[in-house]
Formats: sequence, C-alpha cells, structure tokens
Amino acid sequence: MIRIENVYKSLGEFNLEDVCLDVDDGEYLVILGPTGAGKTILLETLAGIHLPDKGHIYLGERNITRLPPRVRNIGMVYQDYILFPHLTVEKNIRFGLRYRRLSEEKAETRIAELTEMLGIRHLLHRFPGTLSGGEKQRTAIARALITEPEVLLLDEPLSALDHETRNRLKEELRRLHRLTQTTMIHVTHNFDEVFVLGNRLAVMNEGRIVQVGEPGEVFRKPNSRFAADFLGVSNIYQGILNPGKGLSAFHVDGLVILTTSQASGKVQACVRPEDILVSLMPIESDAQNAFKGTIVDVSNTGPVVNIQVNVGSIPFIAAVTRRSFYDMDLRVGGEVYVTFKTVDVHVF
Amino acid sequence: MRKDAGGAGASVAQGRFTDIAFKTVNLLLCGLVALLLLGALVSIVTRTTPQALWDSIRSDEIQFAIRLSLLTSVSSTLLCLIVGVPAAYALTHYKFRGRGILNIIFELPLALPPVVAGMALLILFGTTGFGKALSDAGLQFVFTKQGIILAQFFVTIPFMYRIMKTTFQSINPRYEHVARTLGCSDLEVFRRVTLPMARNGLIAGSVIAWCRALGEFGAAMMVAGATRMKTETLPVALYLNMTSGDLVLAVSAATMLIVIAFVALLVFEKVAGSARIF
Repeated sequence: MIRIENVYKSLGEFNLEDVCLDVDDGEYLVILGPTGAGKTILLETLAGIHLPDKGHIYLGERNITRLPPRVRNIGMVYQDYILFPHLTVEKNIRFGLRYRRLSEEKAETRIAELTEMLGIRHLLHRFPGTLSGGEKQRTAIARALITEPEVLLLDEPLSALDHETRNRLKEELRRLHRLTQTTMIHVTHNFDEVFVLGNRLAVMNEGRIVQVGEPGEVFRKPNSRFAADFLGVSNIYQGILNPGKGLSAFHVDGLVILTTSQASGKVQACVRPEDILVSLMPIESDAQNAFKGTIVDVSNTGPVVNIQVNVGSIPFIAAVTRRSFYDMDLRVGGEVYVTFKTVDVHVF
Repeated sequence: MRKDAGGAGASVAQGRFTDIAFKTVNLLLCGLVALLLLGALVSIVTRTTPQALWDSIRSDEIQFAIRLSLLTSVSSTLLCLIVGVPAAYALTHYKFRGRGILNIIFELPLALPPVVAGMALLILFGTTGFGKALSDAGLQFVFTKQGIILAQFFVTIPFMYRIMKTTFQSINPRYEHVARTLGCSDLEVFRRVTLPMARNGLIAGSVIAWCRALGEFGAAMMVAGATRMKTETLPVALYLNMTSGDLVLAVSAATMLIVIAFVALLVFEKVAGSARIF
C-alpha cells in the first residue's frame, strides 16, 4: 500500500500542495485533472525523481520519501513512451533486468511471457523509431513490468494514441492489471478511461487532490464547485440550508429544495441532469422535489437531449432520452414538471 | 472597376519582377562567394608543380610538422573531451549557485582573440608561482610541445563545451528519469543512456575541436614560440617558411591543412546527416 502524507513540492510552474492519498495493494487508481493540475509531478515525486519539499511517502512499511528512484521498485510509463532510441525493443525491455538478481533462464521466460501477453514478441529485434504508437507504448509497459515493480505509474499512457489503438490498449491495461495484480496509478484528463479502468478515482486541481472515491460515487456526488464543473455537472445552486429532522430545506431564491444533507448555512448544491425526470403531468412518486416550470432551451446532443426548464428564475438542466423527447413532444415554451429525489441533491 | 482590375494586374506583375530580381541577386552573390573561396584554395594548391609539392611534403621539416600537429591536436582534443563533457553535464544537470557565471567563463575563450589567450597562458604558466611549481614538478609549458597542447586546449574547449551543452539539453530528461526508475545509478544512467544518446554531439564536438586545434596559431605561438623543428606545427611551418621566402614549403604546409579540413568536413557532414536517425 502507498501512503502519501501531506506532500508539498514546488517546481515553479507546477506544484503539489498538501497532497494526501492512500492507494491499496492491487488497486487501479485513476487520477483525473485538467492540464497543469500537477498530475505528472505527483507521479514523478512518487517515483523519486523529485524529492518532496515537505511530507512523507510510504510504500508498505517503508518510508521511501528520501530514497533514490532505483531502490523504490516503482515503474514509470510516460505518455511519450521514452523508449531508448539506441536500443532494440528487446534491449529496451531488458534494460532494468541488470539490477535484478535473476537467472538468464528466468529472465528469458519472463520476457517471453510479457511480450506474448502484450503482443510484441515479433518486434524484439526492431528499433523504437520504426514502431507505431501502440507498439511503442506496449514496449514501454513491458520494460516497466519486467522488473516486477510494486507499483506501476502510468502518465497519460493512452493520450498520444489514435482512437482505435487507445480503446484496444485500454482493454489490455485492464487485462494486464487483472493478470499481474500490480498496483497501478493512472493519470489522465480523459473521462472514458476512468470507468473502464479505475477501481477508484481521484480528482486533482491546482496541485491538490480535491476528491477521492469510487468513480460512480465521485461523478454522482462531486464535493466541490471545481469537481462539479470539471466532471460536467451543470445544475449547481447557491443558497441557505436549514437542517431539519431527516430532511433539510435548501432555500434558493425563494424555491425550497429538500435534501438529505445535514449541513447548514450558506452552501452550494448540485443535481445531475440525468437524475432529473421531466414529465408533462405531476408524477406520483416518493421523490419529494417536484416543480412546475417552462422549457426555455432544448439542445440536442446525440443520445440524450438536454432540456433547460426554468422554475421561476431558477434553471434546471435535465437529460431526456431521445425517445421520450419525441414521445412527449417537448418544445420551447411548453410547461413541464421536473422531479428529483432528495438523495440526489448533493450539498458541498 | 476596370481601372481597379488593371491596377491589381500591374502590382502582380511588379511583385513577380521583384521576386525574380531578389532571387537573382541571392544566387549571384552565392555563386560569387563560392568562386572566391574555391579560387583562393585552388590558387594555393596550384601555386607550384605537383612534383615540387610532393617532394616538399616529404621533406623532413613538413613531415615533422605533420607529426607534431597530429600529436598535439589529438592530445588536446582528447583533453577537451575529458574535461568538456563532464563540465557540460554538470552545467546542464546540476542546479547550483554561480552556474550562469561558470557558463560565461567556459564560453569566454570563444570571443577572446587567441593571441590574448596565449599571452594570458604564458604569464600564468611562465611567471607566477603556480607555473614555477608545475615547472619544478617537471611539467614545462613555456616553449614546449606541452605548451602547444595547452594553448590548443584553451582555445578549443569552448567549442566542445558548447556543442555538448546543446546536445545534453536536447535530450529529454525523461529518458534519464525512466532509467533511474529501472534501477540505474546516476553514473549508469550517464553510461547507458545519456552518453549513447549524445553520440552525434560527441563526434561533432570532437571533429570541430580537432580542426580548431590543428589550425591554432596565435595562442600556441605565444606559449610555445615558433621554433623550427621544435615547436613547428603545420600553421607554424607555413608562417616560418612564408617569412623566410620558401614558398614551396609554405604551400605544402597549407595544402596539408586544406586536405585535413576537407576530410574533417566530410566526416562532420556524414555525422550531421545521420543525426536524424534518432
């Protein structure tokens, strides 16, 4: 298990600010964040390339904060592959074997296994300059895994690949993780990778980890304005919360939204568009938030249609399936009901 | 309307004319300079008969100068490699106080006239306590072959340093990062990754340093003097025979220098061309 405790690092442009993060053995953690959030420095600090200005890093029981990279046993794969151009694929993969006490026989078997698993066995004699992006990335992964690292760090491993290769390699990473049970930390700014790969998701911004949790959970319940904006949550409201018994009343410009949150005072809350139900008539349900409003905007975005319904002056964006959009014959100016559950109102 | 169109047509024609004129002037100047360079070189080689040239190249004096030039220039180039590569590595890889000043000091001889550099070396190694101590220890630089090597080294080190610095800077530090995570110590990273990736820079730096050392005259003459058959390198042989009026010997020394320069340039172009492999 990796434990990062209050790590600070300043590198001029990029910084880490009080980063705390635990990663369990065998876990696949995805770190999501915008460009410049400090994701790469976090990985490089874990690998030992930068020493933290403050804080501690533990790998299992070992305090590795001040250890040089070569004794950490943490592998690193970069977005731009960084294969040694003067060495063949085989010599690239073998690069780290010299520092592991391993018989030649065992080394051979391991290379055979890994290259077989990654489908690059036929490339061993080639030089990196002649490989495609996907082949390069597979080689880089093999080179890192040959030393059997306790943790594998992946810095945007799929970002430089074309769409098809990216999807294929995404599946391969998942399979590789299942087979090797290596702890993996994968940094990206791409949302698709989160759900396919991640057991857990950490959201990073301006050098800080702003939220960690199971991916679905984080997307459903962003805990900050940044997380909500970044993760694409559109209904964000500011208001006063009066905690009550069981349910609390959230006052937004005269509208009262009920929520299960027990916070109080001036807060923000959000409701995901796909959690809002749109109907022509009031619906009998246990959802306790139901308002009548007017459609002011319809935006057709493919599989779902986003509808903006104004309740008084407060806008609600609701995602409606294409099918029900046509069934209900929704048009700008029409009157509809928006309904959502109290548990879907996320206060932060 | 028609008038406007006519005006546009005229300006298009005018633009085409200036384009052609511009191109002609550029090509003409290019040809003239090439002719001047080549003419000057050919005039040296064809100054005497090939037989006289061949005989004088085989003379004891020119043979001595060739040997001394090769010995000193190869020695000073090796010295440049031994010192310049670590220096460039240090200034590109370590962060420390005074790095900027050190960088300027390393590049200073580049702007300094060689005669001034030679004079500085002569004073340092000839008249100061430091020079006396070295001389007592058996290391004499003034009026010796070692002096030639020292002067060549002093004048060529900035070239080696500069080329190696740009070479190291052009290597993405992530290569070194990855090598470290795979188990390399700093020295092993240097040996297994940085140095092989800097191969072309090393060759280019060596060729340039060697050429400069071979042609070095001003600084070497200040430190080692210009003594016939003692500190007589090819440029010195050229100078001595020119002043004593022995034109054939001077021309043969010059011819040797031209031949060596061409060979070096060929090697350099070949390396520079293959630099795109990576």
